[in-house]
Amino acid sequence: MKKFDIEKLERRNIYKAPDDLFENLQARVLSGVNDFDLEKLERKNIYTVSENVFEDIQNHVVNKVLPRRKAPVFKINWAYAAAASLALIFGATFVFNTGGSPDETDPAVAYTVKNQQPKTESQVAYETLKSDLTSVENDHQNTEKPKNNKSVAQNKPQAKTDQEAADQSSKTVSKQDDAQMNDYLDSFSNSEISELASNSTQDVYLDLYN
Amino acid sequence: MKIKDTEIISLMQDPRTQEKGVRALMDAYQSRLYWHIRRIIVDGDLAQDTLQETFIKAYQNFHQFKNDSQLYTWLYRIATNEALQQLNKLKRMQKTDEDPDYHMQNLVADNAGSDAEEIQILLQKAIQSLPEKQKLVFMMRYYDDLPYEEISRIVDMSVGTLKTNYHYAKQKIEDYIKENYEDNF
Repeated sequence: MKKFDIEKLERRNIYKAPDDLFENLQARVLSGVNDFDLEKLERKNIYTVSENVFEDIQNHVVNKVLPRRKAPVFKINWAYAAAASLALIFGATFVFNTGGSPDETDPAVAYTVKNQQPKTESQVAYETLKSDLTSVENDHQNTEKPKNNKSVAQNKPQAKTDQEAADQSSKTVSKQDDAQMNDYLDSFSNSEISELASNSTQDVYLDLYN
Repeated sequence: MKIKDTEIISLMQDPRTQEKGVRALMDAYQSRLYWHIRRIIVDGDLAQDTLQETFIKAYQNFHQFKNDSQLYTWLYRIATNEALQQLNKLKRMQKTDEDPDYHMQNLVADNAGSDAEEIQILLQKAIQSLPEKQKLVFMMRYYDDLPYEEISRIVDMSVGTLKTNYHYAKQKIEDYIKENYEDNF
């Protein structure tokens, strides 16, 4: 082949291609959009939500809109209330009158308790002597009583008169004894009284046991 | 067991059973109302607050509820109004030079779950690009499958207008997705 003119060559493709190449290519390119049908799309939510969101909202709404529960109110039965009040008043009065310590009722003790001063020697002696004499007097009365009881058992009508007479005599005797004792005590000094008081305690016990 | 609206209403009307009634009402409708609000507002915390306000208002105005309408219609109406109020507040708080629709579309991308499909994100962005009424109609019809008659009671629009709005909304969304889908791929 001496002369080759490319211009005279037939211009054709030697490669084979499908006849519907461009149709399918176009369809493939547009498939993502042209096939899109909104109605066929899945209807779902793309947003995320925390787990307890509805529980929290519900509790918040309930707490906000509903009034807080009031404390239960009990109905008062007025009869029971009045009875309870009276019982309380009487009880308090009783406790107030009787519940105090015996020291508070005794003015002398109350005085010493209040003042909390140590007693002098003469005061101690006087109180000891007085208590001893009182105990002697009581012992004397106790020894006389069984005699009277005997007479009562033997002769009842006479018992009254005898007992009255005995009471009168004991009263006069005790008054006389008090006066004499006071005179007698006045004659002593404080130191003598305290000495006497310490001895008299022993005497009383000696008398009792003799 | 699903409690009926009539039971919820009777529980709500009796002061002794009001708490039970409020809880039953919320159990029945909180999820549906939340997603309705969330799709309008997008922001999760704000949607939570709005749902809360919705139920508080429902409780406070329960005496105004008339038995001739359905309970969920009445609740949807309150929720929609609350959500739109919140959305308007949100838009007012935005910078003046920023397009509110563009801001909402960005908010969609920020709030979407990590496993969300691209086409679903595009759909949400497309919804945010719609005018307010078209948006409401489309969402209530498309997601909640509410009848036009019920949507009519909720948004105070005629059924014919609603159908037209839904048609336009759908058209716009499809166009938006086609356009943005080509851009992405």
